[in-house]
Parts: sequence; C-alpha cells; structure tokens
Amino acid sequence: MLILSRKENQKIRIGNNIVINIVSLSDNSVKIGIEANKNVKIYREEIYESIINSNKEAAETIKDSIPTNINSFKLNKINKDDKKK
Amino acid sequence: MKIKNKQFGEIEFETNSVISFSDGILGFEEYKQFLLLSENEGSFFWLTSIDEPELVFPLFSIKLLEEECFNEEEVEPFGIVKLAKEPENVTINLKAPVFIDRSAKIGYQKIIDNEEFKVNYPLFVKN
Repeated sequence: MLILSRKENQKIRIGNNIVINIVSLSDNSVKIGIEANKNVKIYREEIYESIINSNKEAAETIKDSIPTNINSFKLNKINKDDKKK
Repeated sequence: MKIKNKQFGEIEFETNSVISFSDGILGFEEYKQFLLLSENEGSFFWLTSIDEPELVFPLFSIKLLEEECFNEEEVEPFGIVKLAKEPENVTINLKAPVFIDRSAKIGYQKIIDNEEFKVNYPLFVKN
C-alpha cells in the first residue's frame, strides 16, 4: 500500500480524473473532498461491506420461508416523524 | 426462452422482459440480466438472474411502506428482503434500494447516503 503524508488543503491525484483533497483535520477525524467523474461510485467502506453482506444473506433466503402466520402483524410503515428525530 | 431453478422450477420468459443491471447488484457485479418474477396475490417479487438462475433476490416494493419515499418517475424502488419464518425477523434493506424502470427494462442498486435508512429495517411489526 502506498502511504503519503499530506497537510490540510493538500491534494492527491489518482490517475487523470480523481483528486482527493484533505479539507480539514481534527483530533480523530479527517474531512476529505473527492473530485471524480459522476460514474465513479464512492462509498464509505463499512457501509459498502454491510450492503454486500446483506445482499448475500438475502440471496440465501428462499421463498419457502415467507412467514405464513402474519395475522398479528402489520407492515412496518416508514414514519416520517421518526425519521426527523 | 427458458431457465430453471430450485425455487420456481422451469421459468419461461420473453427476451423483452429481461431487465438489465449494467452494474449488477453489489457483491454480484458479474450478473447483469435479471427477471422480475411475482406470484399471484403476493407482495413479494423475485429478482432472478438469467446467467445464474439459482441467484434470486427477494424484493418488496418500498412504495407499500411509504408512498412519498422516492419520487423518481417511472422508476420503482424495491428493497432486498431477508426472509424468515418468524415475521419479526424479516428485514428489508432501505439503505441500498434496487431501482427498476420496468418500461425501459433497466435496474440498479444505489446506496442512499443517509443514516436514517437502515440496512436491516423490520418489514413487519406486531399489531
């Protein structure tokens, strides 16, 4: 792995079309700006991993395991008021 | 054309019903061609790979959970579901919905950059 030291507002260029900017530094986090073409997908690694794992787990469940006894249940509607909290 | 898998047996389909996922599904990028299957009276859909018919993603329409959730016209948002026998254990991925344009026959999975949307959102709650 290539490791570079950068100061605030210094940049790293990857290939012709991607620029990484160190926007600001604080004690335990760093703000990073990324300039890239729109078709370049940028994800936080832990979220990307969680989606891949979730997709894999979902693909292993089968339609025979659709719950049949849902009489005492209802759809868990997305509540806008909850989301604002 | 025909494909066959364990869950559905033989599936006959027209080539114009094939939905193209040019970027695939995250973690399954090599599979680009899918069918969106549904069964009578069911609310679930089954995104079934044509290249690998045993690869089936259970889907549920997010519109049934919140009509105004996403407003992109023509494009329907679905959540990938992890099924379970017990209703309280069934979850839907709202963090990375699968968007499908049934008229243009294209689909894609997109991660929503918003902490309010959960990967494992319970699909059912007790009455």
